[in-house]
Amino acid sequence: MGRSITRRSVLRTAGLATAVPLFNISRGKAADKVIHFGGSLGMSGRYGETGLNVRMGYEAAIKFFNEALGGAEIGGKKYQLELGIIDDASDPGRATTLIQRQLDDGIDFFLGSYGSNIVLPSAAITEQAGKVTVQVGGSADQIFTQGFKRTFGFFPRATRAWDTSVSFFKALSPKPATISIVATNDAFSKGNAEGAARVCKENGFEVLDIIQLPATVTDASSALATIRSRSPDILITTTVDQNSLVIARQMISTDTNVKLLYQFLGPQLPLFRQTFGPKATGIVGQLYWDEGLKVTDPFFGTTKNYIEFYNAHFSRPISYHTVGASACITTYVKAMQKAGSLNPDAVRDALASTDLETVFGRVKFSPEGDGDAIVMGAKIGQVQGGAFEIVSPADSKTADVIYPTRKWSDKI
Amino acid sequence: MNGALLVQTAIDGLILGGIFSISAVGFSLVFGVLGIVNLAHGMFVLLGAYAALVLKHQFGIDPFFSLLPSFIVLFLIGLLLETSLLSGAVRRGSLMTTLLITFGASLILKDLVVLLIGPDIHTLDSTWTLPTVHVGSVVIDGNRATGLIASLVLLAVLSIVLAKFKIGRAIRATAQETFAASLCGVDSRRIYALTFAVSAGFAGASGVIVGIINPFSPTDDAFWTLNAFVTVVLGGIGNPLGSLVGGLLLGQISTFSSQYVGSVFPNIFMFCALLLMLIWRPHGLLGSSFRGSV
Repeated sequence: MGRSITRRSVLRTAGLATAVPLFNISRGKAADKVIHFGGSLGMSGRYGETGLNVRMGYEAAIKFFNEALGGAEIGGKKYQLELGIIDDASDPGRATTLIQRQLDDGIDFFLGSYGSNIVLPSAAITEQAGKVTVQVGGSADQIFTQGFKRTFGFFPRATRAWDTSVSFFKALSPKPATISIVATNDAFSKGNAEGAARVCKENGFEVLDIIQLPATVTDASSALATIRSRSPDILITTTVDQNSLVIARQMISTDTNVKLLYQFLGPQLPLFRQTFGPKATGIVGQLYWDEGLKVTDPFFGTTKNYIEFYNAHFSRPISYHTVGASACITTYVKAMQKAGSLNPDAVRDALASTDLETVFGRVKFSPEGDGDAIVMGAKIGQVQGGAFEIVSPADSKTADVIYPTRKWSDKI
Repeated sequence: MNGALLVQTAIDGLILGGIFSISAVGFSLVFGVLGIVNLAHGMFVLLGAYAALVLKHQFGIDPFFSLLPSFIVLFLIGLLLETSLLSGAVRRGSLMTTLLITFGASLILKDLVVLLIGPDIHTLDSTWTLPTVHVGSVVIDGNRATGLIASLVLLAVLSIVLAKFKIGRAIRATAQETFAASLCGVDSRRIYALTFAVSAGFAGASGVIVGIINPFSPTDDAFWTLNAFVTVVLGGIGNPLGSLVGGLLLGQISTFSSQYVGSVFPNIFMFCALLLMLIWRPHGLLGSSFRGSV
């Protein structure tokens, strides 16, 4: 007697018929030998400019691995790298939705967005899902004090980013005594300002004011009136590029002079220096990468090789965000090679113990995942003759510091 | 209270207010005549700045000489938008539809700018801005003072057009009482289109000034739309003088709250002022200039 055909048996058979191919499809991703990097990036919206710089870095590295090297060799197999970055329009809500969708699609390895307000919620989601994130876009303390184990950043957290800068201040002659700080009302800028104030005070400087502006700065006249009346030796701005531009521009047009203007973000970008021309001379900022860096990347080789490859394939000017993004891919691949697999837990462990020279410089993470403050701490750059010269530390400098800087009206 | 700081704050407020006034010029007109809140207004302002940027980079034209070309370009864009998309919604008096259309238009225009020019921050530099002036310990920002003067000039031009020209009388008549105006031979559909186009043109011209004063990027549109809205509510609808008064008031609120309460608070005080004005005098300080006698 044969088996009766029941509804239950039909459903069971249909279920099996669907599950087997699906299982093979998910295994097929590994069988195709492609490593998918997921993540979101602000390629439009408030962070569009920097987001595009970061994306170019990711694309350059992926292109190099796939075309110049024929793929990345991991555990004896060659893998093509695929970039699955989606535009989050600089919106944290959109970013988290996109990241969740990618998690649902089975992505294991993520590249971070730009902006701490986006990196933080995105990292929370990938962390909870047991996936790995390596990012070059966020350094707010909150990202690295949540107990995350799978999120790695290329910069020291904001409050640890000031040791090299304050050492630079102490070495200036005549020694400055007073500092004022301008920040904006967002996690990155506020954290940075707090770190700057703390380290400055610990090293004997008098912090006259910490002035907080709205997150998007359109007018800094009141803040600058205070600065003019208080006359600090050094003015620090811990603002993002566009806000730094507004503040510097208004300083010029209101003739607000200080002996040294230190802008955490801004002067590193060629566009910033072009905007101000000779007026930019003397502005100081943190420098994470320089074209003259003498490093040997395990894949790109020298900095010169990297720059030549990039310029041959991309027209967008190179920035330190671009190079950092490329180094994210290098670091990932090296960790995968060390782990000998694409298991996220194994790769995570390999990343945590990374100590590697890349095209961006030496990469080493703290136990909490941010860049090691000493190894990955910034150099200090100053705009001189349109270029961003290294003026500190002494063993890396390419030019002597100009201090005190001339008044705006004298810079022609 | 430091007297010099008080004077400095007042002057900074006047100058900032000039920038707010100039950016609200066209918004007030559209609000008063067509009765719509143009959510694409901020993008029109930015497009004016981008038009000047293109003229500077391609032809080396100083931004100040781009005022008229920017006006013309945005006039045509405004005319196209009104005749193709908005006119039906305006005729039906559907506020929600006009909001959606103008919001959608702003998104499309923003993405077009990102696609064609890029998301980068840009600035406009002009050799025609005033130098910075020191009067005792008070500093007058020459760049921004130029914005205040330009604002006064543009507002004066609009006032003269509305008061002395036939088209201005037709606009005012249509705003006061559309049916009666049409009985007098005014083609209201044509007037709506022209008003929107003129508004866009003035927004574009103001964008050139805004671009000279501040760096700009495609994401700044919401700020200029919002400021225009607050300026118009404070000053009054449809009246260039209302835009000026509202803008100057907004500037003072911004600088005084920033200086004497906290530099992070100007937006809170601006919106509190908006709420108070809506409660106390919903038509603004100068009222609606288009409220005719019944």
